[in-house]
Amino acid sequence: MRRDFLDPYSRLDSPIHRLGAGTKLGTALGLVVLVLVVPTSRPVALAAVAAALVAIAVCSRVPWRFLAGRVLMLEPLVLGVAGLALLQPGGWRLFLFLLARSTLCLGTMVLLSNTTPFEDLLRVMKAAHMPALLVTTLSLLYRYLFVLVDEAGRMKRARASRTFTRRRAWAWHTGASVVSQLFIRSSERAERIHAAMCARGWR
Amino acid sequence: MTAAIEVRDLHFRYAEGTRALGGVSFAIAEGECVGLIGPNGAGKSTLLLHLNGLLPESWDGPGAVLVGGEPVDARSLFEVRRRVGLLFQDANDQLFCPTVLEDVAFGPRQLGLSEPEVRERVTAALAQAGISGFEGRAPHHLSAGEKRRVCLAGVLACGPSILVLDEPTSSLDPRGRRELKELLRRIPITKLIATHDLDLVVELCSRVVVLDGGVVVAEGPTVEVLSDEALMLRHSLERPHALRHLHPH
Repeated sequence: MRRDFLDPYSRLDSPIHRLGAGTKLGTALGLVVLVLVVPTSRPVALAAVAAALVAIAVCSRVPWRFLAGRVLMLEPLVLGVAGLALLQPGGWRLFLFLLARSTLCLGTMVLLSNTTPFEDLLRVMKAAHMPALLVTTLSLLYRYLFVLVDEAGRMKRARASRTFTRRRAWAWHTGASVVSQLFIRSSERAERIHAAMCARGWR
Repeated sequence: MTAAIEVRDLHFRYAEGTRALGGVSFAIAEGECVGLIGPNGAGKSTLLLHLNGLLPESWDGPGAVLVGGEPVDARSLFEVRRRVGLLFQDANDQLFCPTVLEDVAFGPRQLGLSEPEVRERVTAALAQAGISGFEGRAPHHLSAGEKRRVCLAGVLACGPSILVLDEPTSSLDPRGRRELKELLRRIPITKLIATHDLDLVVELCSRVVVLDGGVVVAEGPTVEVLSDEALMLRHSLERPHALRHLHPH
């Protein structure tokens, strides 16, 4: 069972981890807004933010390989968005700028989630009067991502134990049925969770 | 005396057409511990969901479920859910909060208690379930046995007068099973336990209800019913080992 694939370093002990969750969430949001308002003519400001992030990462003692890996893993999404800039004439500059911007935002979030336990973030959100339904949804999302990944892992193993061919087409076919099964199971589980919540007085 | 739970001629059909219950009737007295047994697909889980008003489709149909003499319907729903604590079969369905503390506090918070009272209830419930000090743990860091105990604590924290358990010992190792049995024995309220663990039934329940194909096929004192080998085999059950080795000493 992969227990901590999402935020394995969120419970380390470092000066950054010891900071209040509210401070960290506020700073992260501040950095993201800052990155977003920097005009294209001032790439130096982005470099400053990057330097700040690197400094925080070093203080937090989260392995840099892990952080870089996480950002790279999410990079295809960024490329998809930034790639659109290439379609306009002379879009290269804009493309690089968008790339830098999104990567910095991603880096900020990866760093935040690996220096602050998620339930602390939820508590801050609740205290800041975020809509209760949104906080509940986020909390359920976090909780059941682990269950979902476990379930997918079990199904993958079960499939592997009865797969006797290397044929690609077959792999794709069963892969698709695993995804659909996962969807059905999740929706059934959602119903059971709702029942369990109701059983303890949820309205 | 009004029964703690009374089920009268309860019918239920799932939307896709499967008939789950075809006229179930039985009653449980205050303080009794009753076992609900039967093969897979007999309708046990469906029946238990009714005891918490979780299948509202059947309120208009024939039959009724009464908790403390009150019919379960839209009006009595929340009172019923407060009085009847339901332990679900899959612990992951029941543990939906990011920490043990949040999860056990979920019920008490719904009851509108103040935060210190909620804390008090959580501490007491965790102690009762034998997992004091687990407050800060995340559900995905717990073993199956610990998860089951946290679920039980979450139910006990609501202060129910009736405990309804769906397969409480499934996926537990023998030690976990033994400890859970002891825990349940020490909880002095009315209990209904749906299970395939017949030894558990012999040890804890004074009476059993046998369900098969959505109807009650037998009902009576545990030893008497479970010793009827022909009956047991007919309904995909068996005479438990505990009854084969009943020594006079």
